[in-house]
Amino acid sequence: MSTSKAPPGHFKILYFGPAENHTRKGSENLPAPLPIGKLFSTLEEKYGGIKANLLESCLITVNLEYVDLPEDENEEGIMIQEGDEVAIIPPVSSG
Amino acid sequence: MDQATKSAETLRRQIAATEEELSRLREQLAVIENEEVQNLKGLSLEEGPVTRKWPLELEEYKRYGRQMIVPNIGIQGQLRLKAASVLIVGAGGLGCPAAAYIAGAGVGTIGIVDGDVVETSNLHRQILHSTAKVGMKKVDSAISFLTSLNPNLRYIAHTEHLTPQNAREIVEKYDLVLDCTDHPTSRYLISDICVLLHKPLISASALRTDGQLIILNSPPLPAGDASGGPCYRCVFPKPPPAESVVSCGDGGILGPVVGTMGVLQALEAVKLITAGKLRAAEGEKAAEASMLLFSANSNPPFRSVRLRARRPKCFACSAEGGLTLESLSSGSLDYVLFCGVTAPVKILRPEERIEASEYEKIMEERKGKEHLLVDVREKVQFDICSIKGSINVPFSTVQGSRALAPQGEKPPWIPESLAPDAPIYFVCRLGNDSQVVARKLKESGLDKEGRYIGDIKDGLKAWKEQVDSSWPEY
Repeated sequence: MSTSKAPPGHFKILYFGPAENHTRKGSENLPAPLPIGKLFSTLEEKYGGIKANLLESCLITVNLEYVDLPEDENEEGIMIQEGDEVAIIPPVSSG
Repeated sequence: MDQATKSAETLRRQIAATEEELSRLREQLAVIENEEVQNLKGLSLEEGPVTRKWPLELEEYKRYGRQMIVPNIGIQGQLRLKAASVLIVGAGGLGCPAAAYIAGAGVGTIGIVDGDVVETSNLHRQILHSTAKVGMKKVDSAISFLTSLNPNLRYIAHTEHLTPQNAREIVEKYDLVLDCTDHPTSRYLISDICVLLHKPLISASALRTDGQLIILNSPPLPAGDASGGPCYRCVFPKPPPAESVVSCGDGGILGPVVGTMGVLQALEAVKLITAGKLRAAEGEKAAEASMLLFSANSNPPFRSVRLRARRPKCFACSAEGGLTLESLSSGSLDYVLFCGVTAPVKILRPEERIEASEYEKIMEERKGKEHLLVDVREKVQFDICSIKGSINVPFSTVQGSRALAPQGEKPPWIPESLAPDAPIYFVCRLGNDSQVVARKLKESGLDKEGRYIGDIKDGLKAWKEQVDSSWPEY
């Protein structure tokens, strides 16, 4: 993970802890804008199985602030904008 | 040598028994002392305040002076620490450093809950335990360290795991709880009991090089009061699938990473206590809750994300929630069921599996040719030790089926020279992942030409037990 900004037309997505093991990378840039309601399906296309195995139990933040995902899958919810930083934060329980 | 081992073992057992006796005596003493204190309080009410020149003992001024002169702590903060009681659930990688600093700071009463005993694999991070204490109850080992660090405090040993049945009785005596456990079931249980008993909760976790820290239920207002702080269920309403939960034993953990998180828990405890925030003040609203994320390899290593307030439909802390003390302690809330159970992996049929000793024979007879042994542990583990002649194809690289060639084609890691009917055996640490990979490979049609594909039952654990006792178990 680095502090570098996403290139024009993209947002940056950070994968914390177990999420990083799933995607094999700490972060990447994805095309913006993207409605938050489409985030999970976009990631599911790239990483088969990630939705049920990981995303559904995660905390999701945009620019360091939690976001609620629309309960209805057809709703788009807020828009992730160019330059935004999205984080996928799975619960870690070990210690 | 044998004699020495035996007498050491006897001594260890004697020490453990004596420690147990000691902690029982301590608890008895604590009860009596507590009664005395209560009696004294009663007396002083009638006869006016006990006249003493200074509120702390002289030794305490010396011991705590360096922290008392820090702005915002002061004598008032120190007296609050002395009057406070903190329950630390888990005496492991988080609980050890947290307990050391909390005892050092002079928190008057410290309870520790843990049912485990000290193991050698704990010592790189669980800094209250030492080599001589392997086999001793963690709680007793921790309290013996803490007593030598600060004998002025009252320590209470709870040498059992926290369960829905004992949670109320244990937790209700304390002002503040630290979750230093290592499993989703205990995380939800501790959060629920803290909501029910109105206790603030400082929760931390760590795995590999990452950690998380959250202050929950602060201020600890009753369920349904939206001004109270969020609980663990507000942040993570849905537990992760059981198969995806990785323990420190499987995933690994760096001592300083989990140590950092435990130290931060102690810091938050000291802040909360000295600021007088153990109970909600009149009309107090939750400050914005946040989660601190630590990723040792990322830049910046610390990030703080803002969390939601209490979830309006939270099962535990909303007015609509169904959580009650009765439902919790009666066992009708099944935390194990809620978090899911991992069944033992049974993917391969018995004829698709061989014993480790059988594989040794095959190795001898075939002289390392005409067959392939594939070790599917991650590379870091393969590099520590491996069976001679085996090749490494890490499980994580096969999971996304990238290492598996398209239907009918040979994966790139199978040597050209390997005969098309030569058997392929898979092995891993315990014999779970090896089954998954063997099945995947069979499904891709690699056994079409009559090739045997199977795994070594119980993995390298069995290899140590049946074949090579010198195998380094890590």
